[in-house]
Amino acid sequence: MKVNKWTERFFGTPLFEPLVTFSYIFPLLYLMIFLIVPVLSMLLIAFTYDGNISLHWFKSILMDSYYLQVPPHGDFAQKLTTSTGESLYLIRGIDFGVVLNSLVVAGLVTLFTAILGTVFAFVIARYNFKGKNLFRIALFIPLLVTPFVNAYVIKQMFSEFGLINYIFHEILHVLPFRIKIDGLTGVVLAQSMAYYPIVYLNAYASFINIDPTLEEQAENLGSKGFRLFRTVTFPLALPGIAAGATLVFIFSLEDLAAPIVFHGDPLAKKLMSYQIFSKFIYGLGERSPEIAALSIIMLILAVIAFLGIRKYVSLRQYAMLSKGGRWKPRISKPKPWQALLIYLTLLPVLLLTIFPQIGVIMLAFSERWTTTVLPQGFTIDYIKEMLLNPDVRRFIVNSLSYSGAAVILIILLSITSSYATSRFKGILSPILESMVILPIAVPGIVVAMGYFYFFSAVTPENSPLNPTSLYGFNPALVLILAYSIRRLPFAARSVYAGLQQVHISLEESSINLGASRWKTVTGILMPLISLNVFGGAMLSFVYSMSETSVGITLGSINMDQAPITAFMKEVLMSAAGSINIAAALGVLLIVVQITAIVVVNIITKQRYSFIGLT
Amino acid sequence: MVEVKLENIVKTFGETVALKGIDLHIKHGELFTLLGPSGCGKSTTLRIIAGLDFPDSGQLHFDDEDVTYKSSSERGAVLVFQNYALWPHMTVYDNVAYGLKVKKLPKQEIEKKVKWALELVKLQGYEDRYPTQLSGGQQQRVAIARALVVEPKLLLLDEPLSNLDAKLRLEMRSEIRRIQRELGITVIYVTHDQEEAMAISDRVAVMNIGQIEQVGTPKEIYEQPKTEFVAAFMGKTNVIPAEVVERDGDKVTVEFEGLRLDGLTYTGENDKVVVVIRPERISLHPIENAVSITGKVDLIEYYGFFIEVVGLFGERRIIARTINDRDVIGLRPQGGVTFYIEREDILVLPKTL
Ligand SMILES: Nc1ncnc2c1ncn2[C@@H]1O[C@H](COP(=O)(O)OP(=O)(O)OP(=O)(O)O)[C@@H](O)[C@H]1O
Ligand SMILES: [Mg+2]
Repeated sequence: MKVNKWTERFFGTPLFEPLVTFSYIFPLLYLMIFLIVPVLSMLLIAFTYDGNISLHWFKSILMDSYYLQVPPHGDFAQKLTTSTGESLYLIRGIDFGVVLNSLVVAGLVTLFTAILGTVFAFVIARYNFKGKNLFRIALFIPLLVTPFVNAYVIKQMFSEFGLINYIFHEILHVLPFRIKIDGLTGVVLAQSMAYYPIVYLNAYASFINIDPTLEEQAENLGSKGFRLFRTVTFPLALPGIAAGATLVFIFSLEDLAAPIVFHGDPLAKKLMSYQIFSKFIYGLGERSPEIAALSIIMLILAVIAFLGIRKYVSLRQYAMLSKGGRWKPRISKPKPWQALLIYLTLLPVLLLTIFPQIGVIMLAFSERWTTTVLPQGFTIDYIKEMLLNPDVRRFIVNSLSYSGAAVILIILLSITSSYATSRFKGILSPILESMVILPIAVPGIVVAMGYFYFFSAVTPENSPLNPTSLYGFNPALVLILAYSIRRLPFAARSVYAGLQQVHISLEESSINLGASRWKTVTGILMPLISLNVFGGAMLSFVYSMSETSVGITLGSINMDQAPITAFMKEVLMSAAGSINIAAALGVLLIVVQITAIVVVNIITKQRYSFIGLT
Repeated sequence: MVEVKLENIVKTFGETVALKGIDLHIKHGELFTLLGPSGCGKSTTLRIIAGLDFPDSGQLHFDDEDVTYKSSSERGAVLVFQNYALWPHMTVYDNVAYGLKVKKLPKQEIEKKVKWALELVKLQGYEDRYPTQLSGGQQQRVAIARALVVEPKLLLLDEPLSNLDAKLRLEMRSEIRRIQRELGITVIYVTHDQEEAMAISDRVAVMNIGQIEQVGTPKEIYEQPKTEFVAAFMGKTNVIPAEVVERDGDKVTVEFEGLRLDGLTYTGENDKVVVVIRPERISLHPIENAVSITGKVDLIEYYGFFIEVVGLFGERRIIARTINDRDVIGLRPQGGVTFYIEREDILVLPKTL
């Protein structure tokens, strides 16, 4: 065999190596066919008008005051009177039109979560106070995903006679009137409460990774207190904070659960994600260029945020200059007033934000929750029903099998892509590297729309693979593919990190001793990274189980084969069953997630920060 | 300018006792060096003086003020970190200007001073670079400029030249010396390079595992080491374990490998001793009234401007150094050789290692 210029250029191997070539080609083709092409097929529709290439649909969106409303409409808060004659402020937010509303909501959620996450991260990274470990554990609770029901509990908390009014109006009397939060404000609130730990985790990692001598030097030159934080600590943690905040921005933009829960208020419907979703649901079978155009706008916003942060973070890789040395972590005991501040402000916020998950559990075990502060009447009927009623159990079985199948694909994809990009640097490696994490930036509803157009175009009419089929569409394949794409970044990051821990000389020496590439990978490499593969697979599995966007759109076309989330959405939107059963499914998801976290932490002995961007 | 006094400073990190009771008295405007092997506690001592660590017990005074627990930001004892600790998110200019901005100096003055400091370390023109765009040596010089620019009353340097090439190191060394004299500041300098310590310091403290072994001028330390450790640490030297076999007042006879050296001065109690002889004080020519030892030539090594003859005496190797290559004519490996040493050049110290 002689040196092959082509394989060297593309795959970074001087000789043609089938295994390496496969490791590049398989994930590339897979992502190409099941991510890029479907999304692009939507472009085609969005840019076509009357058979010609045109910006018509984008123009019509941007000219329509339904989509862009400047100046905004409506009052931020309205003063009403309750049935008991007390004054009530209804806070719904103002209407900027669908496109701007999405941006304003995502922007506000990003801002609030960035502030909260950074404050929590700083306090926990830098102070040793009583109960800190409880804080740290509690901060994981809002991250437990319980689609819909979690936002439902938040809605209840902030309703007329809910927990918040009970505490602050009835007991503490700090609120002279009642408040009710609904509409866009409700969405902002629900998302902020659920997402701030994402910023916290990223910011925390940044704070503890700052070389302490950098702050010591500033102190030594006379700086202290807030100035020290502003000039040295904060700028050094900013890349991590920004990465977490960007993730929140994208999550907020694409979130469907909160708008669906608050959809009783028409204002909550005026968000891009909800618009795409509802037009899709009610106009099934139609290729609507308008939704395609709206999806493209949303995609562009998410991708801009994503690329922006990648660029920014890579510019500021403060691969700390420091030459080793011992680190004396900057942790101190808070002064009494600081401790007081922690317990008086952070603790209440923490309790408030873990309440939704607690509320979900309470709801699952209770008979009803109407106008009371907390759910009423203990019962295990709903848990029983979930496990025993075949009409509910079916959804669990569906979700488990789709997620399981997706994980097998994910393992294959993440091992091949990580092996290729971490070991062989050809011109394809940066391309593959970006493509593997690109799914983070593609909103789920955009994937769903893309798949809808793609599969209805390429599969035979009326076959079970065609979403427009008249004889019953089977979403199994489409969901498995969607899960495998959407959850790939979680596993790929973990496997890639594992591969970077293994020095390449271990493989080289094996090959040098006469082993084949295949034997080296399976015999040397795989055992060394098996824990990372396992951790990544668990993560992907857990988040496939709670996948929402594709599940409640394509997945709900045929309820016989629908996943858990599709059923939960049905419950919330059309009262197909009681909310308690949805909460019971939420509890099931919580159990699955906690089990996964505990098992992963025990087996791999590593702390998975679960959600990150870089 | 400030006088620094450390009294019985003890510092532990968990189980490790990093400093076992340090006493030092550093005078006004002195360039004082802490010299010792890796891990002996030099950085810890410096950090305590800078106010970044606090001792478990003991006291620290600047002039008459007790500053043991004063915060670093108020001490004015500026430290140049061993790892430079440059802020990666600031340009060279902003790094250097930081301390001045903290002091709220007017902008023009800051500009002037930063310019002065960067010229001093030969980095003019680098103002807008970020630390990652600099070589190790350049980073180190930024760190030095950043400390000097605030004109601290006490400057603490933790191996500030370790990353520079030989030529630049010599230049910076004399530069630091010059600046220190010019500004009249007190400098505490940490290094593990004894040659650097000799060249730069007014006085040197030799440290060993958390303790001060000896304090003195470079000449004293070099010529009159008080302990075996100091003797061994101060460059390539012969430290020969031996035993006292006869005593007559403060004169003793010692023996090693069957060889006897008599008439040496020693007042210690312990009969286990080391004999310390500097290679350059060993002559290959007979000297009157000197002691002599005869053995075999093991090696002859040429170093350019000097030559070393390694003699083998029983199992023991002893090095002699000469700058005259005629001295080694007639010597060949395995052949016989005699070393001559004046008694006053032989130091007998109690064996402590
Ligand atoms: N933060 C710390 N935690 C635990 N042990 C420490 C810490 N800092 C220093 N030590 C220990 O204290 C001793 C002295 O360390 P120090 O850094 O002062 O040595 P040094 O003389 O500066 O060494 P070097 O020349 O390698 O810089 C060492 O044994 C070290 O392991
Ligand atoms: Mg040190």
